[in-house]
Amino acid sequence: MAAKRTLEQQIAVFGESGSGKTVLLSSFYGALQEPAFLDRSVYRVSADDVGQGIRLHSNYLGMRDDGRRPALTAFAATAYRFSATFRGTSPKSASVDALRLVWHDYPGEWFAESPSSPTEQRRRADTFRSMLGADVALLLVDAQRLVDEAGQEEKYLRLLLTNIRNGLLSLRDELLPDDKPLQDFPRIWVLALSKSDLLPDMDVYAFRDLVVGKAGSDLDALRRAVGELVESTEALSLGQDFVLLSSARFDAGTIQVSDRVGVDLVHPMAAVLPLETHVRWASLKTLPAKVADALLGSVDGMAGVLAGHKLPLPGPLGLLVGLLGPDVAKAAADLAGGKLKDVHATALRKKEYAAATLAAFKMALERAEKDKVLLRSPR
Amino acid sequence: MTYLWATRGRTWGFRLLRTGGLADPLATYEAAFAGASDEVEVWQVTGAGGALRFPDPLGRRDRSGRVVPHDFVLLGDDARGVTSVDEGRRRLWPRVERVFVEAYDSAAPPTPEP
Repeated sequence: MAAKRTLEQQIAVFGESGSGKTVLLSSFYGALQEPAFLDRSVYRVSADDVGQGIRLHSNYLGMRDDGRRPALTAFAATAYRFSATFRGTSPKSASVDALRLVWHDYPGEWFAESPSSPTEQRRRADTFRSMLGADVALLLVDAQRLVDEAGQEEKYLRLLLTNIRNGLLSLRDELLPDDKPLQDFPRIWVLALSKSDLLPDMDVYAFRDLVVGKAGSDLDALRRAVGELVESTEALSLGQDFVLLSSARFDAGTIQVSDRVGVDLVHPMAAVLPLETHVRWASLKTLPAKVADALLGSVDGMAGVLAGHKLPLPGPLGLLVGLLGPDVAKAAADLAGGKLKDVHATALRKKEYAAATLAAFKMALERAEKDKVLLRSPR
Repeated sequence: MTYLWATRGRTWGFRLLRTGGLADPLATYEAAFAGASDEVEVWQVTGAGGALRFPDPLGRRDRSGRVVPHDFVLLGDDARGVTSVDEGRRRLWPRVERVFVEAYDSAAPPTPEP
């Protein structure tokens, strides 16, 4: 049966070649196809493009069964669309019956190297424009490079941040043809320690301290560069959210795909971080009303589902500006602890699986913070 | 001999180093390798001529430990007579071997040539 309403989140993932982007994608998707997940989950995830799904699953099985790493991704820059649909029959009152995650994959060498052909140049610009719908960007910091540069990690960190900054600045004219800053642009930039299993003693606080301590000025320069692209920089968080990721543990000849950290947080981060952060920003008195409305509008659908409100049909979600009002959004964003667990349990009982899943996403982020895998911005 | 060559270095990313003199070599490259998926070795006859892939004969790897692939598109008649990866490697590798010795370890990729 076709989904009657789909709630969509987008995330943009930046990482240099070899930083683990394809392994992360394959690990994310492959684990969702395992019986261990399917047996206990209220939803199933499939790739909207069947070919992409087969390729990612095949990558995952190659890692799991043969210790084989995915092949190099040539000239990559792709959007992957994953849909989570719920098992059984949803009650008629359920306003959403699928959650979609759009995962934009950006090769980091695009920032450091010029394109090798005119088509590649055009593709880069097109790809960057497609990213504008994402609320969250994930910037991968490669733990292998930190290990290689132990003691002088700033060499790698500064280069990484400078390359991204220069790359964005070089695209400024493409992204802002009329020189007006963008309202829609990733405003939450999470720094993610990829291959974190290589630094087992590093928790998310130590990771933050390393980045800020060794490359704080470059982080600030990147924040200012992104600030030149977006309207209202008070609604921008870059260098304040951190997460640890490990897609698998790579031993000699084997790859333990079940030994993962943070991969299960990608979809929750894409869904929940904008809800919480946009609501907070929208309450800032200095923010222009139209920006505040747009920020709230982009999370209205999610807030409505989580707060148990019926959503109007039909029409795209995420464009319900003012329909539910800031109080509903705030109530949903503020859900935490025992109250959040109650919402989760109630939604499960009523078979409102979209609400249950979003509540579970929020609970996963709470847990990750306690485990020092995730650090969320206080502002 | 006219061909496209795409590869990567130890630190620089996958890119075209030979364009076969084409204005839009990436389109030809992608059409030639369509359907080749992630195979380590490839020889397939295509509309343009033939698509050839083999792993670096000296086993050189990128920074994250993956063996560097060499992808070629042989254009027109230059694909004639090639029937296997081995035959393609024998013909193509001597043409780029020296270039790659210098390029592999350099910090930036070389500029693409026709």
